[in-house]
Amino acid sequence: MEKNAGWQWEITSKQGWFRINLKEIFQYKDLIVQFVRRDLIASYQQTILGPLWVFLQPLFTTFVYFIVFSRVAKIPTDNIPPMLFYLPGSIIWTFFSDGLTSTMFTFVQNAYIFNKVYFPRLIVPLSYVLFHSFRISIQLFLFLVVYVVFAIGGKNIHPNAYMLLIPVFIFITAAFALGLGLIVSVYTAKYRDLENMMQFLLRLFMFAAPVVYPASLIPEKYKLIFWLNPLTPVIESFRSSFFSHRPIPFFYLGVSLISALLVLLLGIILFSRKEKQIMDVI
Amino acid sequence: MDNLMIKAENISKYYRLGVLSSGTLKEDIKNWWSRKLGKQTETVVQHKNHIWALRNIHFEVSQGDVLGLIGKNGSGKSTLLKIISRITLPTGGRVRGRGRIASLLEVGTGFHSELTGRENIYLNGHIMGMKKKEIDRKFDEIVDFSGVEKFLDTPVKRYSSGMYVRLAFAVAANLDPEILIIDEVLAVGDSEFQKKCLGKMKSVSGEEGKTILFVSHNMHALRNLCNRALLLEKGQIVSSGDPENVISQYLRSGEQQFLGTDFSLKNEMPGNEYIRVQKVELIPEYDQQQQLIDIRTPLRVKFEFWYDVEEPGDLMVDVHLFNFTGEFIFDLSSGRKTYKKGLISGECLIPGHFLNDGSYYISIVFIRNATIRLFYLESCLSFDVEDYRENGSWYGKWAGIVRPDFPLLLTARDANSAR
Repeated sequence: MEKNAGWQWEITSKQGWFRINLKEIFQYKDLIVQFVRRDLIASYQQTILGPLWVFLQPLFTTFVYFIVFSRVAKIPTDNIPPMLFYLPGSIIWTFFSDGLTSTMFTFVQNAYIFNKVYFPRLIVPLSYVLFHSFRISIQLFLFLVVYVVFAIGGKNIHPNAYMLLIPVFIFITAAFALGLGLIVSVYTAKYRDLENMMQFLLRLFMFAAPVVYPASLIPEKYKLIFWLNPLTPVIESFRSSFFSHRPIPFFYLGVSLISALLVLLLGIILFSRKEKQIMDVI
Repeated sequence: MDNLMIKAENISKYYRLGVLSSGTLKEDIKNWWSRKLGKQTETVVQHKNHIWALRNIHFEVSQGDVLGLIGKNGSGKSTLLKIISRITLPTGGRVRGRGRIASLLEVGTGFHSELTGRENIYLNGHIMGMKKKEIDRKFDEIVDFSGVEKFLDTPVKRYSSGMYVRLAFAVAANLDPEILIIDEVLAVGDSEFQKKCLGKMKSVSGEEGKTILFVSHNMHALRNLCNRALLLEKGQIVSSGDPENVISQYLRSGEQQFLGTDFSLKNEMPGNEYIRVQKVELIPEYDQQQQLIDIRTPLRVKFEFWYDVEEPGDLMVDVHLFNFTGEFIFDLSSGRKTYKKGLISGECLIPGHFLNDGSYYISIVFIRNATIRLFYLESCLSFDVEDYRENGSWYGKWAGIVRPDFPLLLTARDANSAR
């Protein structure tokens, strides 16, 4: 008695590799907004300085870099005032690292919700990255203020029109962090060992990118592998656009964009395929 | 009204215990390696560790049906709801259906304690799949239903647990899905509100023609709400159809609880150098052929333990009773007394007409000289007390922690003096 062939949904054990329902994610866009809002409100609740921390974090980090790497270790900064040199590097790095660490714990942190209600799981990592994108936007504004102060103070710095590429820089970093985070999240859910390992790898990875030193410091034979790190062209291009001390590395920037997109695609595919199986192991 | 809304065919769910949930990279690499080498022994071990949470489940639900799922804990009810709610995948089989599903597997999923009631209505609504416009439209209705309008702009962490539940259910009840899936959420909240919820469910299925899948241990609610029921046992449907028949079959199946263990056979008595518990059991003193603990049943708790303390001093044993939310119901103490080394047995009786219906667990604590805790045997017994009512059409949860039966007398006085 098959009365209605008009079934609207079907649940089976099979899950294709490319079953990514972008339309569904779009339907849940209000939820993304709500998650970002929630994180924004909750993250500075019950702190005395509140949202001011968005500014204080990069300033403190920069100050530490300044003391350790510039004053103590005497690592050159390409003739850029050290504060201005470290600030964008630390802002972009923090964006990457926060984006990655938050997305890679998607399952672990949200198991209690995922276990109780269905919505496209991709919503959660997306909202994390948007939340951090919101923060980096504010922090970049802070950088601009510091930059202007230095410029008025008579420092010899020249911006150029490539500054307009900043959204591209943020996008590459976001895509890379999200893609990598999605891939890792599938495995951290299953193997908790990875949590500890990732902390360590991430710290190591920071020194593989020109966060606290200029790219010019890298010896010739490591140049290729160094520049293939998607973060390298982003950070270097960012500095180039504000200090014009070096041409923008367009080739590597392009490579970086493509590889970040590939990582993102791989991440989304893997995540979508595994999201339901993971619920049985978490 | 014979429009099929859900058709489940041959659903199975298989969990591998130990292997997948081990959660360490080392073991998985080991397993992978042994599979690579074709070591048969390892695979055999793996197969011992699996369970079928569900096996060959077939059922159909038509529009307007209220289907009750009944079964012991671990019978697969929740797994089935999770599969239909798209939280976990079946291992085999398929479910097809029509219409939007809203699952209420828990009240207030995703509520954030730092956010206000108003913000949480939106957050929770969005999580359940509502759009902003829909929530805007339903907002007043939700607030009205929840009865927390005065505290809308207070963070929910300042809410009482009752308010929290009311707000959460109000969101879910106003979701407006075609299919509503509800898992034992009415166990919380006060009776007034439960009545409201059950009433809402009734009107949603009856008047609005919505389909409801409903898990509950509250037999009164099941009898009154459902027009069909499924009884699950060890992942298989053992009975389905008219709720009354299914419920009585379930009640007959008896022995639903963890009523005792004889550790002496297993040679792994819990305890330490001072105390070794050999046996713990709960013996319901049933009336006639009754097979189920209900509020009338007296319960005898018996235990035996080896006492091994040389030094002079006294021993006191306390029986702690908790309900399933962790509330401490009572602490029954044996009083202090001196014992020699050896086997000691204990016994106490929880009278009938004393506990309200619900789930309970018992822990036993062994104390020396009134202050030194020798051993705490945590939740060694657990049992459910079913409701029982002679008559009455009201099916909400009877309020209160205890359910005493001492008389409350009303006397009609003559009209003149009453004035």
